[in-house]
Amino acid sequence: MSIKRSRVLGLVLGLALSIGAGAATFETRPAAPAPTLQARDLAGQPRTLDDYRGKAVLLNFWASWCPPCLHEMPSMERLRLKMAGRPLAIVAISSAEPAADVTAYLSRMPLGFDILLDSDGSNTHRWKVFAMPTSFLIDASGQLRQVITGAIDWDTGEGLEAVEALLAGPR
Amino acid sequence: MVLNAGCASPVRGHDADMIAHFRFFVFCIAAAVLCAAFGARAELPDTQRFPASGERLLLWAASEYGRDPSELAAARQLAAHGVEVWSLDLLDAYFLPPLPASMEQVPQADLVQWLQAALASGKRVTLYAVGRAAGPLLGAVARLPAGARADLCVLLMHPNLYASAEALADPVYLDLGTLDGLRVRVLQPRRAAGTLWLAGLTEQLAVSGAAVTVTVLENLREGFWAREEPTEYEIAESGRLAERLMQEMETQTCP
Repeated sequence: MSIKRSRVLGLVLGLALSIGAGAATFETRPAAPAPTLQARDLAGQPRTLDDYRGKAVLLNFWASWCPPCLHEMPSMERLRLKMAGRPLAIVAISSAEPAADVTAYLSRMPLGFDILLDSDGSNTHRWKVFAMPTSFLIDASGQLRQVITGAIDWDTGEGLEAVEALLAGPR
Repeated sequence: MVLNAGCASPVRGHDADMIAHFRFFVFCIAAAVLCAAFGARAELPDTQRFPASGERLLLWAASEYGRDPSELAAARQLAAHGVEVWSLDLLDAYFLPPLPASMEQVPQADLVQWLQAALASGKRVTLYAVGRAAGPLLGAVARLPAGARADLCVLLMHPNLYASAEALADPVYLDLGTLDGLRVRVLQPRRAAGTLWLAGLTEQLAVSGAAVTVTVLENLREGFWAREEPTEYEIAESGRLAERLMQEMETQTCP
């Protein structure tokens, strides 16, 4: 949420308290099968996590009306370029908004990773996403490993470390 | 010089001075604490009143992010149309940090008193709470006698009633107490993560006994009146906030 400057500090602090620490939280989860993903791509084709079998997956729930979501998108694109040739799939699923809103955003911000549509919000419900953006790191065997709530820079620092740890496999 | 301080041990003069100063210091602290406590009970310090001669009174509780100037402008517009407004910034009133969790520290007894004062005005009272302010306000409403609740109606703008909401887990809601007889209308901007969870929220209110209706505000985001980069539509709707609230009060047929 982007509010007038006088409220930014309170907003950041509020988000920090409401989700634990910092502006974004990294929460490692005990390995467990990821919930089902049943979405469609921009061409209308059905997509599931099985389409990414054998790859680690960064699954990002976002919306074009959400400024923090849009803020982290370019870093996800840089991450894609940085990880070229490595077994990582970046998938951004737009939560419960018209496809036209998504394509309008993509016309301004071309992205090379997969964009899926959750038009009816059923995936957002199934994954129990309460804040935007929320991202899930899923290993190549389909086990969910980490939840990141809030916007981060994916191609540097803690975000990149989390992705590298995912690719390195269980420790 | 030897003083007998009322006990068996003699005390030297220097120590006696220190004790006297210490007692005075303790007295001052105690007096300050008592004054603060009674002062808070007597009146909520940060209530801004916008008097009007009409029959309606709107109690406006700002969100955990504070009171925006556009909200005060809307309050003035409401007063100009005859709706008296008592505007309350809960966190500012109690010197609490601007955090969602701070709302849980607001003393509900004070809010009960605030509601009772409003009801005693003889006007038709509508309570309007934004975001996280909905929790303490509904908690206070639950502490009113059932008859008093029936005299209120409530508008909640994108209420946040989560006790916890973590990804991959079911949400846990605040325990609101009994809201039997209370009419609640939820105003939910479409472009918000909470919109998808509206059914759970309204169910929770209904379980507490409230009669709930929902208005979804299309093409708007939470806090649309205070956005740093608002859309043109949000700017327009921000200017219409007073009109929207009057409309909601009428359509909810508040008593």
